[in-house]
Amino acid sequence: MAEPSKKEATKVVDEGIDVGISRLTEEKIQSVINSVIDEETGARLKTYVETCVHCGLCSEACHYYLSHDNDPHYSPVGKVKQTIWEMVKKKGRVTPEFIRQAAIIAQTECNLCKRCAQYCPFGIDIAYLMSVVRRIIHRLGVTPLYIQDTAHSHSVTMNQMWVKGDEWPDTLQWQEEEAQAEIPDLRIPLEKEGADIMYSVIAPEPKFQAQLIYQAAVIMHVAGVDWTMPASMGWDNSDMAMFTGDNELMGRLKRTHFETAARLKVKKIVMGECGHAFRSVYDMGNRWLGWAMPPFTIVHAIEFYHDIIKEGRIKIARKYKPPITLHDPCNVVRGGGLHEKARFVAHAICENVIEMHPNREHNYCCGAGGGVINTGPPFKMTRITGNRVKAEQLFGAKTKGAEVLVAPCHNCHSGLHDIVHHYEIGLDIKFFGDIIYEVMEKPA
Amino acid sequence: MKTVTRIALSLAIGIVLAITSAWSQDDMTIVDNAAFDNPQRTPSVFVHDAHNEAAGIDDCAECHHVYEDGKRLEDESSEDQSCSECHDLKGSGGQPSLIKAFHTSCKGCHQAQKKGPIMCGECHIK
Amino acid sequence: MHTFYNFVSGPLAWVAFILFFGGSIYRIASMLKLVAEKERFIFSYMSWRYSLRSILHWIIPFATVNWRRQPVLTVVTFTFHLCLLATPIFLLSHVVLWDEAFNVSWWTLPDAVADVMTIIVILGAVYFLVRRVTQPEVKFVTSASDFVILTIVAAPFITGFLAYHQWLSYPLMMCLHVLAGDILLAAMPFTRLSHMLFSPFTRAYMGSEFGKVRHARDW
Repeated sequence: MAEPSKKEATKVVDEGIDVGISRLTEEKIQSVINSVIDEETGARLKTYVETCVHCGLCSEACHYYLSHDNDPHYSPVGKVKQTIWEMVKKKGRVTPEFIRQAAIIAQTECNLCKRCAQYCPFGIDIAYLMSVVRRIIHRLGVTPLYIQDTAHSHSVTMNQMWVKGDEWPDTLQWQEEEAQAEIPDLRIPLEKEGADIMYSVIAPEPKFQAQLIYQAAVIMHVAGVDWTMPASMGWDNSDMAMFTGDNELMGRLKRTHFETAARLKVKKIVMGECGHAFRSVYDMGNRWLGWAMPPFTIVHAIEFYHDIIKEGRIKIARKYKPPITLHDPCNVVRGGGLHEKARFVAHAICENVIEMHPNREHNYCCGAGGGVINTGPPFKMTRITGNRVKAEQLFGAKTKGAEVLVAPCHNCHSGLHDIVHHYEIGLDIKFFGDIIYEVMEKPA
Repeated sequence: MKTVTRIALSLAIGIVLAITSAWSQDDMTIVDNAAFDNPQRTPSVFVHDAHNEAAGIDDCAECHHVYEDGKRLEDESSEDQSCSECHDLKGSGGQPSLIKAFHTSCKGCHQAQKKGPIMCGECHIK
Repeated sequence: MHTFYNFVSGPLAWVAFILFFGGSIYRIASMLKLVAEKERFIFSYMSWRYSLRSILHWIIPFATVNWRRQPVLTVVTFTFHLCLLATPIFLLSHVVLWDEAFNVSWWTLPDAVADVMTIIVILGAVYFLVRRVTQPEVKFVTSASDFVILTIVAAPFITGFLAYHQWLSYPLMMCLHVLAGDILLAAMPFTRLSHMLFSPFTRAYMGSEFGKVRHARDW
């Protein structure tokens, strides 16, 4: 088969990949691939590979494919062909250069958003196949440097951002003090045993978005929620290990998180506006630990806001005026079905909600998720040029009048920021929390 | 004269009848499929005399059999009847349907003798 | 030729049917065994309701977003697969053979209808072939095996069509037709034609995951 060669051979320099590749031998590659395939996979991999009829119907699901003018190298099945098919077919006898390419494809040209699973007539879980590739890449030590660094941080500190033990409660107390300037009796209750809710966030919040904790504290306070935050390890619900294929580390992280909730004897875990953390806590990490469903009720911020607005625990003083458009994050919408609740919240707090198209489960990915943004600067343009279609979609919403883009997910937020900036779309990007904080009734 | 005429006429009629009936025997080149409402295939090619001569069939009952209580009656034959008088389109109990009767009768024998057509289109010629 | 015909429609057909049914049971059983051994968790996520919900959406033309996005393909693939399954099962001459051999028979298609359905299958196969060599996203993931399985599927219909109309050498075509049918039957469980066996399972699993865990539509 002559293959179209639209895809330019851009030589990305990534130390994690390149140094890792330089250490590989073909024997090592073969033994690792076969060990993963034989010992860590089963009926899913086998059946998916043998059932796929190479029809290409998944192609148009993928924002990379659409953004690269339908270059088949970027279609979901095209990526499968360039990675796991070859590994299976050749029984692991592939070259280090092949592994290099596989690492780039699986770690930076797929967001594991699972949109393709909705387009495959057979329901083949292509994101799972990419996860298997990532697992192989991890075990070969070829994971891109930046995301591997976050995984190292997880391993050492149990949080994603190298937040040190004392920095965490420090930050919370700092935000508590800040908020007390606005609401004097506000508390961020640390280590409150028996509280209804443990509120958990991802490490970037204390690291450089501490105002989000402030806002959450205000919302919790006004809603009269009996809540707490842990002062020790286990407060971070994020999980880059899930995206590097470091399942063992994912297990450690989630165990720590769940055990912290158990230690605090809370009823539920409410989490901030983060998508991948939801995937980790609600879907992936719990399974690794043997829980079919999470051992605690997991409430994503969208659902939490939905509930407290619906129950009248917070009141909207005046709805947000600028027209907003809502981005449905894959992990909480395709992965958690929160799209209608998100719309309830949007309509409850905003005067004008303009739908982007496609939306809900069929929304285009932000291009940042699945750990792609965490592969850092070397691959920044990969995800921006790889998501032109998102820019077009956002521009469509903008032409209909949207001025603000609400993205209730951290990865989406950052990824969309890059897209809005690069393609000069001119949309403000906000979390629900930003707007709720702004429009809710607060004690005078 | 009248008698002569009468004899001659009856002779002539007799000869014509004899000849035409002989013709009709010779001329049986297909199996009559009039019993089928909506035949899906062309009638089966079957040149009666030539077939029987080639196959060395003397006993009419070889094909024109008579069954009673599921047993074939020796020394009885049914060439004066049409097949569809017994074999209806549906078939019942041990009595095969007309299609099946034709097929098993022709093809069954061909298979047993290892002679003659056995594939659909060899008899149902387009 | 008759000896060959008797062979392909007799012993070889037995072998083909045994391989088809035995192979199908074997493939499904070994898949389930593998699930039980290595991915037991899958069983705990399976849900009849969401499995059927998903399967139902995907076996109805235009009931999913992707079917609607691909109207031509949807019409072709649905009629192709329907004719592919229904024609051989309800073909008069096949039922006649079942009746003669095993005394079982069922409703049959008028030959003229079956003829049209055969043409649909052949044209469908041509469509898939053309699509495979012209559409870049399909071409890119095409391997030799894709042409092989397409040929295996089309062959009984092409030869059957020629034999029915008695074009070219009838006896040869008839023998090739039966042989091609035997090959198709035997190949189904052991090639990617096994999507016939596995797709209900993969669909059901994805439907269950989406319905039960993700609370989202997978169509």
